[in-house]
Amino acid sequence: MTRTSIFIAVFVALAVGVLVGGIARESRSAPAAAPAPRAVTEQLRAGFGAGDTRVLVAQLQGQLRQRPTAAGYSLLGLAYEQRARETGDASYYSRAEGVFRRALDIAPDDRAALIGLGSLALSRHEFGRALELGRRAARQDTGSARAYGVIGDAFIELGRYREAFAAFDRMAALKPNGPAYARVAYARELIGRPAQAERALTLAIDASIGQKEAYAWNAVQLGKLKWSQGRVAEAETAYRAALTVFPGYVYAFDALALVEASRGRLARAIALERRAVDSVPLPQFVAQLADLLRANGDRSGAKEQLELYGVISKLQTANGVRTDLETALFQVDHGIRLRETLELARSARALRPSIQGDDVLAWALARNGRCREALGASKRALRLGTRDALMFFHRAEIERCLGHAEAARAWYRKALDLNPHFSLLFAPVARKAVA
Amino acid sequence: MKKLAVLIVLAACLFAPAAAMAHPLGNFTVNRYSRVQPSGDRVYVLYVLDLAEIPTFREKDAARDPEAYATAMAAKIGRGLELSVAGQRLALESIDRRLAFPPGFSGLKTTRLQVVYRSALVEGSGPLSLRFRDTNFAGRVGWQEVTVRAAGGATINASSAPSKSVSDELFSYPKDLLKSPPETTGATARFEPGSGAGPAPVLLSAEELQARVAVRDTSGGGFAKLIAKDELSIGFVLVSLLVALFWGAAHAFSPGHGKAIVAGYLIGTRGRPRDAFMLGLIVTVTHTAGVFALGGVTLLLSAFIVPEQLYPWLNLVSALLVVGVGLTILRWRVKVWRRGDALGGDHSDDHSHGHSHSHGGHSHSHGPAVEGRSGLLGIGISAGIIPCPTALVVLLAAISLQRVGYGLILIVAFSFGLAAAVTGIGLIAVTARRTFSRMSLDGPAIRALPAISAVAVLGLGFAMTVRALSPLL
Repeated sequence: MTRTSIFIAVFVALAVGVLVGGIARESRSAPAAAPAPRAVTEQLRAGFGAGDTRVLVAQLQGQLRQRPTAAGYSLLGLAYEQRARETGDASYYSRAEGVFRRALDIAPDDRAALIGLGSLALSRHEFGRALELGRRAARQDTGSARAYGVIGDAFIELGRYREAFAAFDRMAALKPNGPAYARVAYARELIGRPAQAERALTLAIDASIGQKEAYAWNAVQLGKLKWSQGRVAEAETAYRAALTVFPGYVYAFDALALVEASRGRLARAIALERRAVDSVPLPQFVAQLADLLRANGDRSGAKEQLELYGVISKLQTANGVRTDLETALFQVDHGIRLRETLELARSARALRPSIQGDDVLAWALARNGRCREALGASKRALRLGTRDALMFFHRAEIERCLGHAEAARAWYRKALDLNPHFSLLFAPVARKAVA
Repeated sequence: MKKLAVLIVLAACLFAPAAAMAHPLGNFTVNRYSRVQPSGDRVYVLYVLDLAEIPTFREKDAARDPEAYATAMAAKIGRGLELSVAGQRLALESIDRRLAFPPGFSGLKTTRLQVVYRSALVEGSGPLSLRFRDTNFAGRVGWQEVTVRAAGGATINASSAPSKSVSDELFSYPKDLLKSPPETTGATARFEPGSGAGPAPVLLSAEELQARVAVRDTSGGGFAKLIAKDELSIGFVLVSLLVALFWGAAHAFSPGHGKAIVAGYLIGTRGRPRDAFMLGLIVTVTHTAGVFALGGVTLLLSAFIVPEQLYPWLNLVSALLVVGVGLTILRWRVKVWRRGDALGGDHSDDHSHGHSHSHGGHSHSHGPAVEGRSGLLGIGISAGIIPCPTALVVLLAAISLQRVGYGLILIVAFSFGLAAAVTGIGLIAVTARRTFSRMSLDGPAIRALPAISAVAVLGLGFAMTVRALSPLL
């Protein structure tokens, strides 16, 4: 042993000593009895101010650090999903997926995790997968209301309405809460019973008092239901209620923009829509901003938003989110690459044989001049008796293209009677047609 | 077939790290960071802005002239920053800025802007209260982080914000599933100003700003994903081992893994290729052991400490080791120097060293060999002891997935990759030096090289120590 190696040995020993000392210091400063680290307590404090899911998230994170359990992970996943809805920050969705997977690693049949992954699959438009996950969860526990929610949502998008409504009924019977009422309302809207839909939605709102995001969501849905029947003032009241409970709620800004536009206040409408796009640039917000700008005569601004829409859908496609149906509708509406869009609409309809799928396909066929085929698709789109002004307008265009002037007029009128402001782009077209 | 697709995707993830985004909505984030830095008699703010693809696209017209855009953004952001000291609002002036557009997802660009703001002179002395708020981009989704750190004689007595950034100032976002993105937009602190002018925060170079973003989404990404596959086939394991090997090698080139020290050491001690290989072996063993040990310690102590809190201490350990090694080499060089002078002062000592090494060196190398081996151990340990966080994540993930064996093998492969890179660097250093000595370039500079490199190692060690100490104090 030379002096140098002793020297180094002493050095290593010293260094290790420092390390161990450090650990000891750290562990002293964080005794097991009070496990919450500083960051967590800070978040807790902030959360009390906001009174939202943040508190729950921080608690669960702290607990899971101490003791990972399947139940804890799936609960955290659900809280993350809620945070994503509250903040619009989609990184919470990937976190949610990660913790659901951890829950399933611990307990492969964890019901809450299966339901959580099911609703993630829905938001990524993987409806078949969502259905499978929902059914797996329901098999675990036939009394799980939320599993039937996922199953029903998937059935709706797959166009299997009888099964969807059965699932929603089951859900509402098991647990008559906000989410169940909201789904019942949507089902009633689909079969053309807006008054009953409104009653269910009011129940959903009552059931979600105290949960600001759920309340705001349901309030906006109620407003949209009223809007779809041309009750502009009542719709605005509902949107404003949503904003009172949840300031900065982007869906309310987006909906209010249409209210302002219907009153001819385009500048205000544009400002509102911009706020929505600034916070969360959802494709439908961007498309609506483009339409508002165009209505206001700002062609270059509109073009910019259309480009942005293209970028967003490119990003979504690259990330594996199938938004074919939405993209197809957008492109048909704006006359973009109509021939290719028809193919897109066909494949989208095959994946989502819902009435929306049929309607978009009908519209794409009509704009490509294939009106006979379009008529069949439009009839399928209206098979549930849905009262949707835009679908009526599409039908009117098809009838006109087929030379049925009388029928076309009737459908235009039906659309305008239902909601004179049904579309920024097409309400003026319908008005001109019946004038 | 499906697994093949998984592998292809995986490979794509490794080579195009930005493609690792899991959900489209991540693409619209506006991420902001402020480092509030009392320094000398002023307060500086380093502001970092990271715009994802969609906001960047929306700004594309404004950004057509980057120079003007950077200036305009700096002015706009500056208006949204509120700084007050002892209750007095202090004006902030933008003194320097740098802008880059690193490539993002799907052929799109992202934006990265750094701005240094300088406050007016701080009046008064003794502990002063400081309040900072970033009101920019309110309501926009994204990472919001603030740190407070002193420089230039100023000291922080208390602060609501940490001194160290968890995202490396928006350069690598941690992907801890049990953490929410921070939403801190302000800080309060008590500090004592220094006297006179203090140093301002330093901007990254344009290249760094442009290039380092590439690792943005891979922190714990590519490598850690290997372990999370559902089922494992032989082919998959083999490919994943290769990937781990590659990842380890790539990791050696990331900052802080002692390339410079290794090269400097081998030059300083006139090491042979054997030493370089030896070094590689030590690095592998140390790194593997380090990860295992830290993994074990983490598991045991996870009830008390977060693993991140261990890293500063490990940094310190390895820094002190480097200092020790530097001192050793220097001491030995000085000894040789003196002996050389005593032998007649005609520098024959250095000469003979150079030649004897090239054909064996066994007869003459008692000095360097003995000193060298223990020094080698120190250097190897210091290069390997800081386990790469990704490696640790893999190990812990393996443990939580009950696939410990696979995790361990991956770690070993990763360490081998690291060691191969270190050995390679060492070999280059050795051959480079040999070429020099064969050419018998015998100027005073060449003869001083070993001593210089010893000093360089020492300096690096001190720098590492200072860096390692700053988050601990």
